[in-house]
Amino acid sequence: MLGSGSTLLGVRRIAGIVLAVLLIGGVVAAVVAGREDQDKRTATKTVQGVIGSEKAEFFADPDVVKALAAKGFTVKTETSGSWAMDGLDLKGYDFAFPSSQAPADELAAKFHVRQPLPRPFYSPLVVVAHRSAAEVLAANGLATVGKGTGTLKMAAYLKAAAQDRTWQQLKGAAAHGELTGTLFIASTDPNTSNSGALYLAAASYVADGGRVASSAAAVGRTAPLMHKLVSVQGAQQSSTDAAFRDFISGAGNPLVLVYESQVAALLNQGQDVGDLTVLYPDTTANSDHTVVPLTPEGRALGELLSSDPTLRRLAVKHGFRPQGATGEFTAATAAHATYLNQKLTGVRQAPVPAYKVLHEMARRAGN
Amino acid sequence: MRRRRAYALVSLLAVTATAAVTGCTAQDQKQHSDSNAPEPGTLRVLASSELSDMAPILEQVRKDTGIKVRPTYMGTLSAVDLLAKGKVDGAYDALWLSSDDYLRLRPEAAKKVVSETPIMSSPVAIGVKPATVSALGWKPADVTWSQVEQAVADGKLTYGMTDPARSNSGFSTLISVASGLSGAQSALTDADVAKATGRLKEFFKGQKLTSGSSGWLATTYERRGTVDALLNYESILTGMKGLTVIRPRDGVVTADYPLSSLASSSKDTRESVRRLTEALRAPAVQREITQQTRRRPVVASVAPAAGLDTGRRRELPFPGSRSVADHLLDSYENKLRRPSRTVYVLDTSGSMEGGRLDRLKKALTGLTGDFRDREEVTLMPFGSKVKSVHTYVVRPEDPKTGLDGIRKDTEALSASGNTAIYTSLEKAYEHLGAGGDTFTSIVLMTDGENTRGADPEDFDGFYGRLPGGQKEIPVFPILFGDSDRGELQHIADLTGGRLFDARKGSLDGAFEEIRGYQ
Repeated sequence: MLGSGSTLLGVRRIAGIVLAVLLIGGVVAAVVAGREDQDKRTATKTVQGVIGSEKAEFFADPDVVKALAAKGFTVKTETSGSWAMDGLDLKGYDFAFPSSQAPADELAAKFHVRQPLPRPFYSPLVVVAHRSAAEVLAANGLATVGKGTGTLKMAAYLKAAAQDRTWQQLKGAAAHGELTGTLFIASTDPNTSNSGALYLAAASYVADGGRVASSAAAVGRTAPLMHKLVSVQGAQQSSTDAAFRDFISGAGNPLVLVYESQVAALLNQGQDVGDLTVLYPDTTANSDHTVVPLTPEGRALGELLSSDPTLRRLAVKHGFRPQGATGEFTAATAAHATYLNQKLTGVRQAPVPAYKVLHEMARRAGN
Repeated sequence: MRRRRAYALVSLLAVTATAAVTGCTAQDQKQHSDSNAPEPGTLRVLASSELSDMAPILEQVRKDTGIKVRPTYMGTLSAVDLLAKGKVDGAYDALWLSSDDYLRLRPEAAKKVVSETPIMSSPVAIGVKPATVSALGWKPADVTWSQVEQAVADGKLTYGMTDPARSNSGFSTLISVASGLSGAQSALTDADVAKATGRLKEFFKGQKLTSGSSGWLATTYERRGTVDALLNYESILTGMKGLTVIRPRDGVVTADYPLSSLASSSKDTRESVRRLTEALRAPAVQREITQQTRRRPVVASVAPAAGLDTGRRRELPFPGSRSVADHLLDSYENKLRRPSRTVYVLDTSGSMEGGRLDRLKKALTGLTGDFRDREEVTLMPFGSKVKSVHTYVVRPEDPKTGLDGIRKDTEALSASGNTAIYTSLEKAYEHLGAGGDTFTSIVLMTDGENTRGADPEDFDGFYGRLPGGQKEIPVFPILFGDSDRGELQHIADLTGGRLFDARKGSLDGAFEEIRGYQ
């Protein structure tokens, strides 16, 4: 337990509640599209949920709306930062759908929701880079790189970060003018954004010799390095979407942390991604999109998202990996195997610290 | 302390000041002068001024989606300040700045933003005359900030840029230059800035032109013809003729224009903002954006407009704390940039008696919170002739003495006599003479027409006979009371200044806005 940090956590919590209330995003109203099914069924159930923003496009997709309607659901969603949902007044909602297990468990405990929670799909964190940067990393033993994808060696990267290594000190970087300055992965703000927090989860796990932080002492052991990983970045983006957009537009740091689902969705749209190279950290954290049912209808929806073949297929279209067998994702992304490590070969998943511990880790990294 | 107060002042005045700029189109004027009351189907957007070039695209989006955007233009720092103070709540439906980087440094502002979505991007760049590029032997793709600095130090390169305290492009430029020259390998710290002060000071000696807006900067650059380069966003420089646009190889700061929804808005409003965002990110609209505005698209399926070099550049990290950003700004204004030297030619004729004189006194007294260290300020009140000429310098070791002098002199102003505009202007030019290494300008505030002394033709002749250097001293006239717009516009055009309108906005606002040009 984090006894010493409890007062601060308390303060932070109040701040978090204020923040969360403010973070309620725009409504994505799902309208009933599947008219041909209406005659077969009684009126559809309308369920309300609060979701992480990276799933907004999924629920707004007319095909998803139609597939849900076919099963008798009209889903109305509002977006919120996953780490801010615990501060929301969820009265009247049927489910919350954060993008990570830790906040989901916290919500489940708060609302006395029965475990296990439906976890329809997930997506690992990856690092996007252009070919030049990926090759320099590979030439210096920090990564192995194939044509459009590769593996980032986290231990080696963290060691380089601890030593304030710059790109200029890496052999082969001189040929690429944009590769200067401190070597770092740009992430979102871990205090408010899920991917930034998961980055610290994975990095601290590796830095502490494969141990998941469970106490203030454990947080303290990696705090200086975590602080370094965050402070070298300066002002951080507040959402993973914004970070990825900047990368696409040619701005931003050479290495940017995003969700695999963002890359996969782009590839599934048939977009030309140029010399994009997707680096999978050899130890990464997964974004586990976890449904917290607040009503029986909410649980039914969560289970439907997990089991319905059409909805699973649509989740893949949006770049997510459905839980369970990997076949669906592998088959659907066959054309993009150049960029995606479809079977996550050689990628270990770091356990994510408990909610409060991770919050404390983020706080100390940011201060 | 003085500077902090000054920024706060800017924000309080900026809303009214936006209406005062006469550079606005008639339509803008109408938009600003209307009350900012909510209107169904219309989003009230607090926006960076350079977004005025999005008008045709927003009109297209309105036709497609029915969502109308009513912009109010403001500088980033002022907008963030307004947001932090809660003054945006209920007054605006969305925020659209060139960047939210500075906003993130102010938690009380950041927590008022719900979501932010980049719409397009443009990096800071340096636009150089092709002749200068060849004279320096530069290969545009390889130029670094150090080379730019070296060229300035060797006296081979002069440039203009906008005022970082008032303009987004200037602020981004300052961060780029400071990061580039400090040798900082990661986000700037106070120590980096302190270490780089000497080099930065040298670098800013090359700045021969300052401006409160990108538009006036471009116009004045062309008018003078003596400045070699401009520092600004790539989109603006690419839109000008005859500049080789260079993005320094060692890194730039990029504006990514995030459209941001606000916590204080209703769900429905945020839904409209989301729909607007979606419309602006549709490939067809992104194509229009890059072709019309020369900013870069943020969707992978649209290529940047022809002429935008696709070579990659490192993104220089933006400072991670407010103190670093504010300290840098403070250093720039009070230590790094060349000082300014200004004559305030102030109409204190009989018609100023009463409320008008009180407003002038209040506006001038307010300005004393904003004068920079090393600045030279001359007060030249006039009626039938120049009544007095008093010059004050804000000395860094003792700023109070100079500022107290200005306040005391202001308090003593009294209204009497006729209005000798041109004779007084001639005196101001004579007072300034050839000048030294400063940003030199004249502010003319009058509430009536010229009734004494030299006439417009005399002044035209006088100005025509001035030696080259003095011809570069612009007059910034302020429309006030019953002054003659045509007369003042002519003075602005003749001298390369710009007209400010205090009749719609406030006199404080006009004086404040002119600070960006001094």
